[in-house]
Amino acid sequence: MTDTHDSESRSAGIDRRNLMRAVGGGAATAVLAGLAGCSTLISDGDEGDGNGGTGGGSASQVGTDPLNIGMLTFTQGAPGVLGIQIQRGAELAVERINGAGGIAGQRQVNLEIADEGQNPLDSYRQFIDEGKDATFGPVSSGTHETIAPEVESAEVVNVSSAGTVTTLYEETVPDPKYSFRFQNSDLMEAVVMAREAVNRIGAENIDTVAGVNPGYSFGEDSQRVFKLALEGLLGDFDVVYEGFPDLGTSDMSTHITEVNSAAPDLMFSSLWGGDAVTFLDQAVASNLFENTRVVSTVMYSAADDLSRDTVESAEVIAGARTYYWDKPDRRLWKPGRDLFNDARQQDNIGVPNPHYIAGYGCITAWATAVEKAIDVLGGYPSQKQIAEALEGHGFFTPAGYHVMGAKSEGGATTLQGSGTPGHSGRSTAYAGEMVWNEEFSAAALEDVNSYSPVEISPPPGQTGTEWLQSWRN
Amino acid sequence: MSLDFTLPLVALQLGGPEIWVTRTLNGLQAGFILFLIASGLTIVLGILDVLNLAHGELYALGAYVAFTVFGGLIGLIAPSGGDPMALLFLFVLLALGAAAVSAAVVVPVGAALEAVFFRVGGIYERDEVYQLVLTFGLLLIMNDLIKAIWGPSSVRVAGVYSGINAIPVASLVGLNYPTFNIVVIVVGAVVAGALFYFFNRTKTGRIIRATAINREMATAIGVDTDRVFTLVFALGAFFAGFAGAMVLPRTSASLEMGVEPLVLSFVVIVIGGLGSLRGALVGALLVGLVENWAIALNPAVETAAPYAIMAIVLLVKPEGLYGTWGERT
Repeated sequence: MTDTHDSESRSAGIDRRNLMRAVGGGAATAVLAGLAGCSTLISDGDEGDGNGGTGGGSASQVGTDPLNIGMLTFTQGAPGVLGIQIQRGAELAVERINGAGGIAGQRQVNLEIADEGQNPLDSYRQFIDEGKDATFGPVSSGTHETIAPEVESAEVVNVSSAGTVTTLYEETVPDPKYSFRFQNSDLMEAVVMAREAVNRIGAENIDTVAGVNPGYSFGEDSQRVFKLALEGLLGDFDVVYEGFPDLGTSDMSTHITEVNSAAPDLMFSSLWGGDAVTFLDQAVASNLFENTRVVSTVMYSAADDLSRDTVESAEVIAGARTYYWDKPDRRLWKPGRDLFNDARQQDNIGVPNPHYIAGYGCITAWATAVEKAIDVLGGYPSQKQIAEALEGHGFFTPAGYHVMGAKSEGGATTLQGSGTPGHSGRSTAYAGEMVWNEEFSAAALEDVNSYSPVEISPPPGQTGTEWLQSWRN
Repeated sequence: MSLDFTLPLVALQLGGPEIWVTRTLNGLQAGFILFLIASGLTIVLGILDVLNLAHGELYALGAYVAFTVFGGLIGLIAPSGGDPMALLFLFVLLALGAAAVSAAVVVPVGAALEAVFFRVGGIYERDEVYQLVLTFGLLLIMNDLIKAIWGPSSVRVAGVYSGINAIPVASLVGLNYPTFNIVVIVVGAVVAGALFYFFNRTKTGRIIRATAINREMATAIGVDTDRVFTLVFALGAFFAGFAGAMVLPRTSASLEMGVEPLVLSFVVIVIGGLGSLRGALVGALLVGLVENWAIALNPAVETAAPYAIMAIVLLVKPEGLYGTWGERT
């Protein structure tokens, strides 16, 4: 937390509203262009390009010491299937920042990774004890519910890559100041899949619905909001089965048998990582797809681990959260093409999936907000100033343009018409039919649809639940 | 329609006879896998009087070794094409062969652990808390060794599971059921039978049981208890490794995979009676079956079912269903 006191003193005359207005514009630095993946994506010095921050301020004001940041993600085991994607995304973002000279061109960034599977709260506290300048992660919703209150106590900015449980900023931390999330909530991706199900299968063909979701807060939350969204779109339907297997279970037979027995028209799943692979392998063996269409929010997180046999036998409509590597066509979108090529050079990355951009995006959100604050303040900002700069902050990644939600008050979005639940990212979302890609020997998506943030996020003044319930009126 | 947004309590899915047969088969295959793991744990506990917390890592090691073995052999079969029944036979043979080889690889590991850490380390004479600390330490060491050899990411083999399931054997009797699970049930039953035969009908088995019943007397009549102890630990490792290799084709091998089976194995041996092989078999099948039957009534009970059975058994028969090892297997 270098230079915090000085910069806070210098900014004493800038109130929050003025700062927010000021950080909305500004010119691009090499770091920002690098993070966006393309120098032509943003202008080369003009105001108002939306990715702000000149990185202004002298070396003595901004400092030259490296910035130390820590990230929680799963680095091993079944959850590592997606956790390592997040890690690699974050590493590429840091590499690009440092390649451009560091934050404001003068402060290199040191990224430390801690395994989220091993006492994540202790690891987080250790980051804080070590004086990390920012923290990132966690991935798990359950861990996020534990850590977010700690973040508020520690008063050090945290931008999680996922941890998408809807109630986090509605109930767990209803008035967040330092806790942010690059991804939107479970609600966003569940709404995408509800829309996809109705569009692709047809409302008249969905009378019965089942769900097989992870047995913890994320899975329960996803199933809850999916049903709410589907009810808003369809009206009546029967829920014939809801199973919640434990994380890392090796045997999904029980749940597959129950789904086959009920033979629903539609099955919803938010299984992810290794669990998604296990489920799909075993579902194919039990012919689950003969009578039931499956829609899933995050099964595509296992794109590198699914076998050809399984992908070709399973019929899954899969969500891709905020990023799909070939949408828009990467031949036509250089930032996406560069990211895709760079990612494939990294260890353990076959194709970058939505979690890859989550790792990349949470670092980018922080780095671009810091540079914008430096631009306004002329020195390195305090944690409070970085947090305020992040609220309503817009920034580019190779996945497109993102906006970080503004502050929420009393569980509802209030500021500046962001339309986003407080402190969560707002991005375009994607979904398509899962198919096998011969070129990359990995699962891919076909016939991909994209959804703008306003189609999948609640408007200002409403929580996600209120918004979905309003569909029925 | 009324939607319940708390934990799921959906309409009862009782279904017809066919679905109950499927649920029972699910329970049997889960039970036999659990028995393979719990049997090793219970014989080590019954004879060596050691609660081996590292037992789950032997299970994981079996899965990882099987990954390597499969990797070497799968290429010989996958591209061959040809008669589907012949392919099924080849894949089953591959699965069993890999499981046997993997278990065999785990055996010297188990024997070495017993000889070095328990016998030479003098852990048998120490308080039980030392055993727990030691075996927990071994758990961590083995976990790190697996990570060092195979890396931090989970690994899986493609082709074996789908290859075996390509011939739907159960459809001969009108069932939609994976052939692989049937293989697990058959293999589990054969292994259980062989294990009981070994302890009841063979000289070595009887010596082991005699040692379990009265260690001093066995020593007095010339039994080399050191060898027996090493043999028992190696036997436990064999079955844990075998179980790990058997589950690999349908899931992944990951660093944390040993934890849940270890906990469930504790539940099984408490239900069956600490150290009782027969108790382990009955307990494992009971847990597998009740878990699968109960989920039909309410999916939310899936996790709680094994512990509920254990609680009931402890209330009714605190020593477990079959008491302790030795007098009866």
